[in-house]
Amino acid sequence: MSIVKIFEGREGHISCKGEDAGPLACNSESLAGAVSQRACVYSGARVVLNPITDALHLVHGPIGCASYTWDIRGSTSSGPDLYRSSFSTDMKELDVVFGGEKKLAACLHELAEEYHPPAIFVYSTCIVGIIGDDLTSVCRKASRDLGIPVLPVKSEGFRGNKNEGYKAACNALAALIGSADYVPQGPSINILGEYNVADDLSYVKPFFQEMGIEVVATLTGDARVREIQRAHAAHLNLVQCSGSMTYLAKKMEEKYGTPYKRVSFFGVEDMSNALRTAADFFALPQMRERAEQVIHREKSRVMPFLQACRDSVAGRKAAIYMGGAAKAVSLVRAFQDLGMEVVIIGTQTGSRDDYQNIAYIVKDGTVIIDDANPLELSQLLVRQKADLLVAGVKERFLAYKMKIAFCDFNHDRTVNFEGYDGMMNFAREVSVSINSPVWQLPLNRESGISSRIGLECLKEMSSDDIPEPCHS
Amino acid sequence: MISRSLATVNPCSMCMPMGSVLVFRGIEGCMPLFHGSQGCSTYMRLYLAHHFREPIDIASTALSERGAVYGGAENLKQGLRNVINGYHPKVIGIATTCLAETIGDDVPQIVREFKAENPSARDVTIISVSTPSYAASHEVGYRVSLKGLVQSLAKRSEPNGRINVLVGSIVSPADVRFLRRLLDDWGLGYILMPDISETLDAPLRSESSAIPEGGTPLVDVMDTANSMATLTIGGSVQEPGAGDYLKDEFGVAHTATPLPIGLEFNDRLMASLEELCGLPMPQRYERERGRLLDSMVDAHKLLAEVKTTVYGDTEMVLSITRFMTELGMRPQIVATGAANSAFAEKASEIAPGCKVMIGADFSEIAEEASNRDIELMVGPFTGRGLAKRFRVPLMRVGLPNHDRYGASHQLLLGYEGSIYLLDSICNILLDSKEMEQHERARNKKETASI
Repeated sequence: MSIVKIFEGREGHISCKGEDAGPLACNSESLAGAVSQRACVYSGARVVLNPITDALHLVHGPIGCASYTWDIRGSTSSGPDLYRSSFSTDMKELDVVFGGEKKLAACLHELAEEYHPPAIFVYSTCIVGIIGDDLTSVCRKASRDLGIPVLPVKSEGFRGNKNEGYKAACNALAALIGSADYVPQGPSINILGEYNVADDLSYVKPFFQEMGIEVVATLTGDARVREIQRAHAAHLNLVQCSGSMTYLAKKMEEKYGTPYKRVSFFGVEDMSNALRTAADFFALPQMRERAEQVIHREKSRVMPFLQACRDSVAGRKAAIYMGGAAKAVSLVRAFQDLGMEVVIIGTQTGSRDDYQNIAYIVKDGTVIIDDANPLELSQLLVRQKADLLVAGVKERFLAYKMKIAFCDFNHDRTVNFEGYDGMMNFAREVSVSINSPVWQLPLNRESGISSRIGLECLKEMSSDDIPEPCHS
Repeated sequence: MISRSLATVNPCSMCMPMGSVLVFRGIEGCMPLFHGSQGCSTYMRLYLAHHFREPIDIASTALSERGAVYGGAENLKQGLRNVINGYHPKVIGIATTCLAETIGDDVPQIVREFKAENPSARDVTIISVSTPSYAASHEVGYRVSLKGLVQSLAKRSEPNGRINVLVGSIVSPADVRFLRRLLDDWGLGYILMPDISETLDAPLRSESSAIPEGGTPLVDVMDTANSMATLTIGGSVQEPGAGDYLKDEFGVAHTATPLPIGLEFNDRLMASLEELCGLPMPQRYERERGRLLDSMVDAHKLLAEVKTTVYGDTEMVLSITRFMTELGMRPQIVATGAANSAFAEKASEIAPGCKVMIGADFSEIAEEASNRDIELMVGPFTGRGLAKRFRVPLMRVGLPNHDRYGASHQLLLGYEGSIYLLDSICNILLDSKEMEQHERARNKKETASI
């Protein structure tokens, strides 16, 4: 029995745990016309690199690609804010016909002179791939002339999905890492796959520092170019968003011998385990003890509030649709903590391993979906009787139109969700949305008059007698 | 006046396909489909969802490397099939992107093939417009899409005794609702197009449909060829569009007016309507006009000589600038991201001595603003960085507005909308003055306590 049937060719991308159907189809091109929620290669590269606060991010392409990515993400900075400006070569018809290399080179010089960035990332867009501009050589020459790293990011939109963009971004980062000398004072880590959305880092990083661990670089939330250049000096990489950064962690392991561990900072248990993972790695008794102290202190601080939230949402049903799998998995645990049941879980770009992992942790009857679209999502939300959807802005209004509560867990969110405080914020948001009085309001007005006098009489009244609608 | 630098820093415009969505979403039962890579549709969905706070479905042909090399015909046909099966649209509006244009797909030919191969798709009207991002801005995308609609669909039959009212530039659903109300009150037979009043600001109902209800009916689009006249509202400085096509092709007389914001431009719209239909303006609008005048008198001292920067879409900027000069305000910078020289001429005429900028980005506007003591900015939310830097209040109008509520409900047109705009401007100025006073007093206190 198919779970939802809308588009031919999508059957294998949707399954129900417990109904034997073989591995979920994934990591394939999106179906034309199906309104995939995915973006493009450029988008993947842009989300990974853009949080580097003091770098200049230049989009080589027509204006749209720069317009739609200008400062719409919630990554914050504790200092520089050059990353919040949008730079584009704004290619026009003539550039498309005659090639954009000269304009790109001129823009690089002009912008370096005006903004003095420590590094420039140059993103290629669809059209650059078609007309064949040689991004690498333009960047190499500019780097020589300007005396700063000018890093090509090969992110032509059509060359795959977001995953390819992550890789392009990681390649650019890999080129930057190791270009400045640094010796950490003591035990040290990098935090990979953490983008400082809504200030998340400031609720996570201090715990590591309390444990006596130096954070050399965060990639790329609130990062500075200088820190990234020194990242090779750290003893350990903690990888949060595995989809975007495992590739870089592996590269660093190969090149610098830096081991990596997967962690998550979302949810009380995950956050605690992240601290323990670091402490176990360094195997210093004092550090372990410190970690347990921190965990105990923070847990006792937040548990009463979380318990109260749990009481208000327990037994309700949640649907999860995320960009990557790491966050989706963390969310399953968080909902377990809140006593909620996950009835749908999906991602835009999960891998076969990701989906196996997901199938392992969810209950029988949960629908698992790859690269969903609005029609499938709305049918599933009804079928699975979801009370809440956790996703991004595109899905928010779909949920609202269906009178379903919503929690924004994407780059657009403005509320911190990581660390112990973040879990309180998350629980609160879930609770206030599910328990809002707006869902109880009558959709249809009860009309005394229409039942009393009937529609015929209304029609006979002159238009002056009918009150005007209230205008905004 | 033209862009000084090569790079665009903080753009004041969007790309062509964006404009097409706002036209296609104003046609009943219409589903937009971008022929290009997946990202374009997702980015614009995200951008418009932020603005309208509505679900925005835009299909994509999701071109990949293979499509880019061998052409996108297969993807386009598959996309059409899936949109028809999934959404059951009456109309599909195809807009091309940079990618499709550069690989050189012949979209009309592919659509003809598709129709021939899929007899079941006979009942679906498919139109296509050419909107490569590198060619021009979202405003031009809007204009060519509207023109494309009538070019493909308008058919001569019997005279219908109606007038065509074309919404010539991007306004809010509330603005379109106002226009409908105005025409209804006038008792005119009309075809209003595109009509986003319901589709991009839908009421919450027990059932929601995949393609939002509302929009200009297809039969009306076809019938535009048979109307008595066309009035393009918000088409004063645009290149020839749908109205001009209907005039040239079917002899339908065409008048274009600015957006009705402020006294003069509202009077001008009302005069045009009176002329077109021979009926006087309904009484209630006389009273609203009087209320606008009354509000203008009430506010004239507060607003006197206030130095402003106005930026954004051409028609919106021109009309707001004119309103400001009626109020005794002093527009200092009047800017648009569009490369539109008719705009430049008009702006200089409306506000002599102001700095007029076309093809502008925010870095250029900032440079001009730095020595002009600007007291108020009016335009899309994208100017917020600038407003913050110069510590100037920003009145958000137009698309995009991502960081405040109510973009769909913002009424700017008509005497009524002008009153709303005027009150908002006054209050935003007063808020900012009060904040300043508060800060000054606090600083004084702090200095005293040291």
